[in-house]
Amino acid sequence: MSEKDNTLKDPLEKRIESLTPEEITKALKVFRKSLDNQHAAYLNSCTHCGLCSDSCHYYLTTEEIQSLPSYKLMLVEKVFKKHFTLLGKRAPGFFGAKGLDKDMIREWVDTLFGRCTLCGRCFLNCSMGLNIPYLIRIARGALASISLIPPELQSTIDTAVEKGNNMGITKDDWVETIEWLEEELQGEVDDPQADIPVDKKGARIFYTINPREPMFFPLSILAVGKIFYSAGENWTLSSENYDMTNYGFFIGDDDISGLLSRRLIESMKNLSAKTLALAECGHGFNSNRWEAPEWLRKKYDFEVRSILQVVAEYIRQGRIKLDPSLNPKPVTLHDPCNLVRLGGIVEEQRYILRHAVSNFIEMTPNREKNFCCGGGGGQLAMDRFVQRRLRAGSVKADQIRKTGAQIVAAPCHNCIDQLMELNKHYKLGVEIKTVCEIVADALVIGKKEKQTS
Amino acid sequence: MLSLLRYGVILFILICLVSLSIQILRTFYYGKQGHYARPRGNWRRGILYAFGKGLMPWEKESARKHLPTYLAGVLYHASFFSALFYLFSLIIPFQLTVLVISLFRFLTIIGLLCGLGLLLKRTVHRYLRKISCPDDFASNLIVDVFLAFALANTFFSSIKPFFYLTAILLFIYIPLGKIRHCFFFFYVRILFGVFYGRRGVLPRDNIKSET
Repeated sequence: MSEKDNTLKDPLEKRIESLTPEEITKALKVFRKSLDNQHAAYLNSCTHCGLCSDSCHYYLTTEEIQSLPSYKLMLVEKVFKKHFTLLGKRAPGFFGAKGLDKDMIREWVDTLFGRCTLCGRCFLNCSMGLNIPYLIRIARGALASISLIPPELQSTIDTAVEKGNNMGITKDDWVETIEWLEEELQGEVDDPQADIPVDKKGARIFYTINPREPMFFPLSILAVGKIFYSAGENWTLSSENYDMTNYGFFIGDDDISGLLSRRLIESMKNLSAKTLALAECGHGFNSNRWEAPEWLRKKYDFEVRSILQVVAEYIRQGRIKLDPSLNPKPVTLHDPCNLVRLGGIVEEQRYILRHAVSNFIEMTPNREKNFCCGGGGGQLAMDRFVQRRLRAGSVKADQIRKTGAQIVAAPCHNCIDQLMELNKHYKLGVEIKTVCEIVADALVIGKKEKQTS
Repeated sequence: MLSLLRYGVILFILICLVSLSIQILRTFYYGKQGHYARPRGNWRRGILYAFGKGLMPWEKESARKHLPTYLAGVLYHASFFSALFYLFSLIIPFQLTVLVISLFRFLTIIGLLCGLGLLLKRTVHRYLRKISCPDDFASNLIVDVFLAFALANTFFSSIKPFFYLTAILLFIYIPLGKIRHCFFFFYVRILFGVFYGRRGVLPRDNIKSET
């Protein structure tokens, strides 16, 4: 079958072909509505210097102009100038303006969805300091308003909206999984009283998870349960509204993003918890810690913390004891973009690992300067771009290989999925674990009096 | 005639400044972000970082990896602002010492060479050309001409009317084209500093005591 035939069969291509002028106007309205003062300033400020090139893992691995961050920004800037600036309307050729037509939409879909993980490394390295990923997110939102989201990504969002979690796990299955994990916990800590509480009112911490955990990585929930048990924490899970992921973030739809985050707030209220603790998930952290209050235009009256902050606090306060010799293999750390560069959780995971492993090796570069694994921005859900994703991930694979580590700690389930694929694809021969799994392996546990306060 | 041109320069400087200020204010017409999320770090420290260490090549990978272009850009902008200072010394007027004039000449020659170098790079580099529009080239050329006339004026005062005319042209163009980034730069860097500062990402020790 020819490439042209394939293109014509692509539902996105069909959708683009069937777009009406009214729909394009609608997309422009959504684009305009999503802009605020910051975005308007950014769109007036790009100097097209191109220095951002090496900051992008897509550009580094392909050297295609479409992967250049300033090119991606230029696609958005062109439309902004043409439709929302006087000079762009009067002299589009001179000022680099171009209207949103089917060709531009086609390029937006391919480039803004298919060549960006919204990692923000270009933002950090931009000569001016332009928040390029947030502008791309806004453009994605305009596409979403006219149903131009890659269908694979859309189905994940639909599942989350309809079923309450992005894996479509039923309540019965979730509760059964917790019961099974509770038995495992009791066996591991040799305490029949050890529990994994569900819907416990008045708990200090309401712990939320990435639904991939019960589905594929239940031991990461067990690891956290073990840490909470060891710290004597007053915590709970929820039988409903426990999904801390937010794929609305990836498609730039603030209404859907807000809806998903609001569910966690409802659970917080129902449980009368004090702290919303978010599992190891980068975009889930950024969404719920930083973005959700903006989407909902609401100041929270409770704390939102990463589980890494909670665990670091336990170590600092001596609430858990760790024996690093229980983790003798060399461990390196991957910094998820949404957690670190965009989320501000930079040192906690390092502090934890220095107490939990014998040999901790930093990647280069690291912290806020670290490279994206290539799985962010919804890429893992978009099968159509898998080859680009794996190729872009070669930067991360090289980083890991250079450390010589045998274990990669990745405090993000999205990143873990990508790293597992990279591990296989680039034959890295490493184990990939969450930080809490590593901590759980190093825990020195004695029987605890259950904390009931 | 010269006096008229001088007042013309002052008038267009004012028009330029008002126009740029309106453009900044107009961005708020698009709506203002609320900052509802509880901050983790100090935004003021973020802004200090954005205008200080955050611009240095040892901190910014893009500058480090493209050091010649980065340095050319820094010198080009420095010479542009010094040429503005020189222009102000003529229209206000106030006396510049021989040493200052000599330094200005040196900086302008270097800046002009850097500007032309950047223009050449934009012309010959395939990808840079692809992401450029005519405004990018025009902006560079207008500034180069302005610098050339500023330099020439330090040697030949008879050039002054032409220097003033190029200055008027420059101040007409600034709010219209890419040169306005010199003004937006300060605003955008503040936004950069607030973003990373509030989130406790940068500077590295910018975190309130949580853990």
